Amino acid sequence: MNQIINSSDRPRYINPYFGGVLLGLLLLLTFYITGRGLGASGAIKSAVVTTVDKVAPQHAESNTYMKSFISDDHSPMYNWLVFESFGVFIGGLLSGALFGRIKKLRIEKSPKISNKTRLIAAGIGGVLFGIGSQFGRGCSSGAALAGTASLSFGGLVVMLFMFGTGYAVAYFFRKLWI
Amino acid sequence: MNKNYIILMSMLLVLAAGLLLLPEKNNTKQMNPEELMWDIVQPTRYVTTDDVAKSIIEQDPLLMLVDVRPESDFQDFALSGAINLPLEGFASDDTRAELDYPKKNIVFYSNDDLRADQAWVLAKRLGFNNVYVLRGGLNQWIKTIIQPVEPAQTASAEEFSQYTFRKGASLFFTGTKLSTTATTKESVVVTRKKKSSAVAGGC
Amino acid sequence: MGPLIPQGIIPMGWDFVIALLIGIAFGFILEASGFSSSRNITGVFYGYNFVVLRVFFTAVVVAMIGLQYFDYFGWLDLNQIYVLPTFLSPMIVGAVIMGVGFIIGGFCPGTSYTAIAIGKIDAMVFTGGLFLGIFLFSEFFPFFEQFYYSDNMGNITIGEFLGISNLMFTMIFTAIAVIAFYVTWLIEKRVRKNHEEYKF
Repeated sequence: MNQIINSSDRPRYINPYFGGVLLGLLLLLTFYITGRGLGASGAIKSAVVTTVDKVAPQHAESNTYMKSFISDDHSPMYNWLVFESFGVFIGGLLSGALFGRIKKLRIEKSPKISNKTRLIAAGIGGVLFGIGSQFGRGCSSGAALAGTASLSFGGLVVMLFMFGTGYAVAYFFRKLWI
Repeated sequence: MNKNYIILMSMLLVLAAGLLLLPEKNNTKQMNPEELMWDIVQPTRYVTTDDVAKSIIEQDPLLMLVDVRPESDFQDFALSGAINLPLEGFASDDTRAELDYPKKNIVFYSNDDLRADQAWVLAKRLGFNNVYVLRGGLNQWIKTIIQPVEPAQTASAEEFSQYTFRKGASLFFTGTKLSTTATTKESVVVTRKKKSSAVAGGC
Repeated sequence: MGPLIPQGIIPMGWDFVIALLIGIAFGFILEASGFSSSRNITGVFYGYNFVVLRVFFTAVVVAMIGLQYFDYFGWLDLNQIYVLPTFLSPMIVGAVIMGVGFIIGGFCPGTSYTAIAIGKIDAMVFTGGLFLGIFLFSEFFPFFEQFYYSDNMGNITIGEFLGISNLMFTMIFTAIAVIAFYVTWLIEKRVRKNHEEYKF
């Protein structure tokens, strides 16, 4: 795969509009086949429910939120979004391999902060995003992307407020990125 | 600016604009002719005068009587609760709207069953499946319900109980005021079939 | 006539195979567009990399237009498509929290999976954070259960809420997207000219 890494060592990406058209067509296909859109955070939710159920079944049963996702016939992991998310991972792997981006484990951050800062930020960001995605009934893929495409008002609301808030607070966290 | 981008943007705008200019969707799904022929020969589309009498007496909310005779006939005499959709205007959009009650049982009637049969075929072609014909029409109605014929002494018990029923019905229908005007339709709430997804929860 | 699986045209057993394949395509497109890098993603908020806006907007517009056309041609029954139900207040709150998490973490769940695939440790931590966040949410759920279910507007569509036809909204949305593409093109030219190091 060496010949794919170009001379200036800049990552090769496909044209974003092309990627957008592909993604849009994929989303359309997903609706056509399954009647629902794409999603991502749902898989983590299933993972949480499964884990708690395994470790402390009573607790999972008594928790009103998790209870609705536990079924007697099958594990909560036996769920469309889980398989789809696993596929996302594989797809990333394929693309990374094709474009030569699979390298040693690394951390990506602005040069102005330390690795530790970045990791703490990633953790906090993840926790916040996890909480937010449950309130929002979806994440950027499920609610904003698929929701808006299917003309759900909630989807549009999530999209506007998510990106709007991002812009609003971007200034305060600029050290992380720029 | 790269030519490709301009092409892409124009395509998107044209497609989106195209959506607004599309003509109204033609929703009429024609029935398959073989299916129609099959349905025509089925006797199950007929309901008897006894059935209808019973439904009216019991105030069956699912019954929808449609008088397909001309309006003047309808004004002279009609079955209680019936609405008037003359056969002549059957192909119009209004008719389709009037019959759009998928949960109800729509029974067409006329003086005998010729016009009602024709109405039934037209309704089937328009895609309605919950349609029936009153066997024998109003003539049969008079003969059985209003002026029932007493069965001979040798008749079966069943025939006797049917006669008793008919006599009671006759009292019911002639005792109460014969409706000559269409009653106001109760609007059955037709819930728009929104999504019911097998998977709950969005993302 | 779509959607295929709910109508039984494709039997349910294939559900998960299809999920996997669709996911693979999704992940591939995301990674190939550059979403496996948190700096690329947050670039949209700082004006040096608009890949998020371009991919996202284009995808929504294409899918939106496509769905309407499919419905018009009778290939798809829009009434059977899952439309995300709207719970206005909790969704706004959720979106705001997600927005902050987006900026701090630099990922969203889907893109974090692709980033894990190419070896980014920060993505792994992010996903771990997601796990923890959802766990915390469910633990404290009784406190805001009321709020979570409040403001239920049902499966309302955008057109219904704004009082315009959905097709009109599609047109407006597409126009806004195209304008946004143009504006961001201008901005990016300006920002990138001054900062060479943002080409990643």
